[in-house]
Amino acid sequence: MNRIVSFLAAGAVLATVADAEEFRWAGKTDPQTMDPHAVSSAPVLGFLNNVYDGLVRMSKDMTLEPSLAESWEPIGDGEGWRFILRQGVTFHDGAAFDADDVLFSHERASDESSDVRSWFSPVTDVRVIDDFTVEFYTSAPNPLFPASIANWMMMDRGWAEANGAARPDKESGNFATLNVNGTGAFMLADRQPGLTTTLVPNEDWWDEAGHNITSATFTPIQNPATAVAALLSGDVDFVEPVPIQDAARLASSEEVNIIQGIETRTIMLGFAHEAETLKYGANAGDANPFRDVRVREAVAKAINVDAILQTIWRGSAQPASQFVTPALSGYSEANAVRPAFDPEASKALLEEAGYGDGFGFGLKCPNDRYPNDEAVCQAITAMLAQVGIDAELDAMPVSNYWPELRADNFDMYLLGWSPGGSLDHEHPLRFLAATPNDEKRLGSWNFGGYSNASLDELLPSILAEIDPEARQALLDEVTAIYQSEVAYVPLYVQPLVWGARANIDLTQRPDNFFILRWVTVN
Amino acid sequence: MNRDAPGLFRGIPSDQDTIKITERPHSMLAYIIRRVGQSVLVLLIVGLVAFSMFRFVGDPIDNMLGQERTMEDVERLRVQLGLDQPFPVQYFRFVEGAVQGNFGVSYRQGRPVAEILLERAPATLELAAVSGLLAVLFGIALGVFTAIRRNGLVANAIMAVSLVGVSLPTFLIGILLIYLFSVELGWLPSFGRGESVPLGDWWTTGFLTTSGIKALILPSITLGLYQMTLIMRLVRSEMLEVLRQDYIRFARARGLRERAVNFRHALKNTMVPVVTVIGLQIGAIIAFAIITETVFQWPGVGLLFINAIQFVDIPVMAAYLMLISVMFVGINLIVDVLYVTIDPRLRIDRAGAH
Repeated sequence: MNRIVSFLAAGAVLATVADAEEFRWAGKTDPQTMDPHAVSSAPVLGFLNNVYDGLVRMSKDMTLEPSLAESWEPIGDGEGWRFILRQGVTFHDGAAFDADDVLFSHERASDESSDVRSWFSPVTDVRVIDDFTVEFYTSAPNPLFPASIANWMMMDRGWAEANGAARPDKESGNFATLNVNGTGAFMLADRQPGLTTTLVPNEDWWDEAGHNITSATFTPIQNPATAVAALLSGDVDFVEPVPIQDAARLASSEEVNIIQGIETRTIMLGFAHEAETLKYGANAGDANPFRDVRVREAVAKAINVDAILQTIWRGSAQPASQFVTPALSGYSEANAVRPAFDPEASKALLEEAGYGDGFGFGLKCPNDRYPNDEAVCQAITAMLAQVGIDAELDAMPVSNYWPELRADNFDMYLLGWSPGGSLDHEHPLRFLAATPNDEKRLGSWNFGGYSNASLDELLPSILAEIDPEARQALLDEVTAIYQSEVAYVPLYVQPLVWGARANIDLTQRPDNFFILRWVTVN
Repeated sequence: MNRDAPGLFRGIPSDQDTIKITERPHSMLAYIIRRVGQSVLVLLIVGLVAFSMFRFVGDPIDNMLGQERTMEDVERLRVQLGLDQPFPVQYFRFVEGAVQGNFGVSYRQGRPVAEILLERAPATLELAAVSGLLAVLFGIALGVFTAIRRNGLVANAIMAVSLVGVSLPTFLIGILLIYLFSVELGWLPSFGRGESVPLGDWWTTGFLTTSGIKALILPSITLGLYQMTLIMRLVRSEMLEVLRQDYIRFARARGLRERAVNFRHALKNTMVPVVTVIGLQIGAIIAFAIITETVFQWPGVGLLFINAIQFVDIPVMAAYLMLISVMFVGINLIVDVLYVTIDPRLRIDRAGAH
């Protein structure tokens, strides 16, 4: 009897707590700014999607849907895009949203000081037709333009100018770094950088709310063990990411749910394509074997990706054949097969290339950028040793890693790529496969200097092709090129592991954005 | 001069020899001025060493620019931040700003570093104060106890358990405490500082709310455990040393009560080295709070520093390191000065030198 009473009492307590619908969540990284145009990083854009709206937005299954624009259509024969804006939308401070704010947000986001200005590099002109019609003209037909601005968020001209935040200021910050005046589903109630950020629902939001939260508090927790403990003890309702080694243990707990999916980030190996000589290892100073496609193919065949996924990832990641995952647009179904693990064939290729006795080289790897990055590199080193090539592994923190890659200090390296913006295959092609060209903003992450003339030639036509089938055919062609040349060795797609209390319903989107309006506290 | 003080005392560097040479009445002032001068020199050297090392921490540029950056953007930002300059030039610019009270703007937060440090300092100082208090109270009490009952079962048990305090790494103790008291028992929060209340313009305190007090318990135990063990072991060994001295035997022979002997005669005479060590450990508590703060996501300057390292936020790292060295140098200075003031033997010694 006593037990029943106390059980009921406990239930009553839980009920009153639940009535408040206070939602607390933790992530690894604090969004470093509240300015949607100052920093183009997933933690910032993901967080700000809760307080700001764009003209368009991504739905739960990553398709494009209307947001502040009710509809959009191409202008003429691919000269640009016309957006019809939603009427009656107000910012959090009550100011009305109209075409002038779109114009202002474009000026602000395409400014020199903005971190997202590359989204607007195809844009030649923006014209306000009336209060609720805006036209964007592009230098060439650009079918992906609406999707590429899904994270471009609208700011109020009056508010920004009155508060001296007409341009983003990343280096020294301004009013918009700490304050928010968006049109989004939530309003910023309190912001303590690096500590806590509190959001409250926007009662006047233009769309159906869909959630039942009355207040939401975000705390960054750097230490994964602390985050897991906070989730288990109920101090937070949701954490991301959950360390892969804790996922199974948490999943067996009745109080906690693990939400697992596949992220958009592909992990791959890159080569020094241009370098004349090797820089590290036993054969430093000798001719660079990775210029030979047979050696690169031998590397691809020597790596047992399934074993890496089984042991290091405990089956939670997926093998990758190309730059993007099947969930993203432009994925090449025709080239879905990745090189099979075949050490004998690998040795034969090395023999044929004149490296039958193997060689030594340097493998650069980050140790805090991607989950399990160093462990994967160690496994790869061991697998390559099996076919007779000895990698000298040099793993380092990411803040040292990029400068090393930029300075060409590698023979082979590990890289992860998530196509920002449009989430399309064209994105990694432009950044990783195109011949580096600063002026055209091409190949800026192509550290190894991979270059293929026909790929470079096809790239602009992929960008401009409006017909989806013709576009996919071009993408298939390009994928076949970089696969056959083994420009990179795509390894696997990272998993996305989130943890939530059992009474929380939420939606996990593959771009790892946590959208608060899809949360229900039961 | 009587330098026969026992135990750790001998191991602690001090400037008494310098003091002895200065015999004029205002010698103390001259001494302090000279020590302050030395301290400034030490600070400048610390800063120089820090700046020479920052480039090994990495490059902040990649953290500041998104993946859409071009090489041109990288170069532009590098010049803008002055990172293209050699480190002595960067250091000079920092010192130039610092003497005017300007520590620059955080690369990560885009706010003045001084503002961020002031905002975070109360959390660290409150945590350090509570940990220090716990360490001193329990350290001295247990030290005396284990010295008096040196062969007792309980005393030996305490000594054995105290080994855990010195040998287990802080982060492990922290995680163990979290799992026991937050996850299993659900008594205490697993992270954070609870609710804090502003006191005036510059201070926020967690002492005035229940959640604030609750949140303090686990981190302060974690942070203070090592210091407590250290003080306990020091007090114990000092006590044992003193209890062997002739005057204790004479005191006992005079028929003084055991408590008077132990506390008035023995403990009092062990306190000089203990106070020195406590003084130096205050600095250590604040500096080592980094790990405890990371484990408990405690919103203090240590956590700020860890974040700054990950982001290569040079202005924050530089200001924090300078702050910590100012603190260490300052505490050392105060300890050295107090030393002369509180140790009667040193005073007699100086009088005799005339």
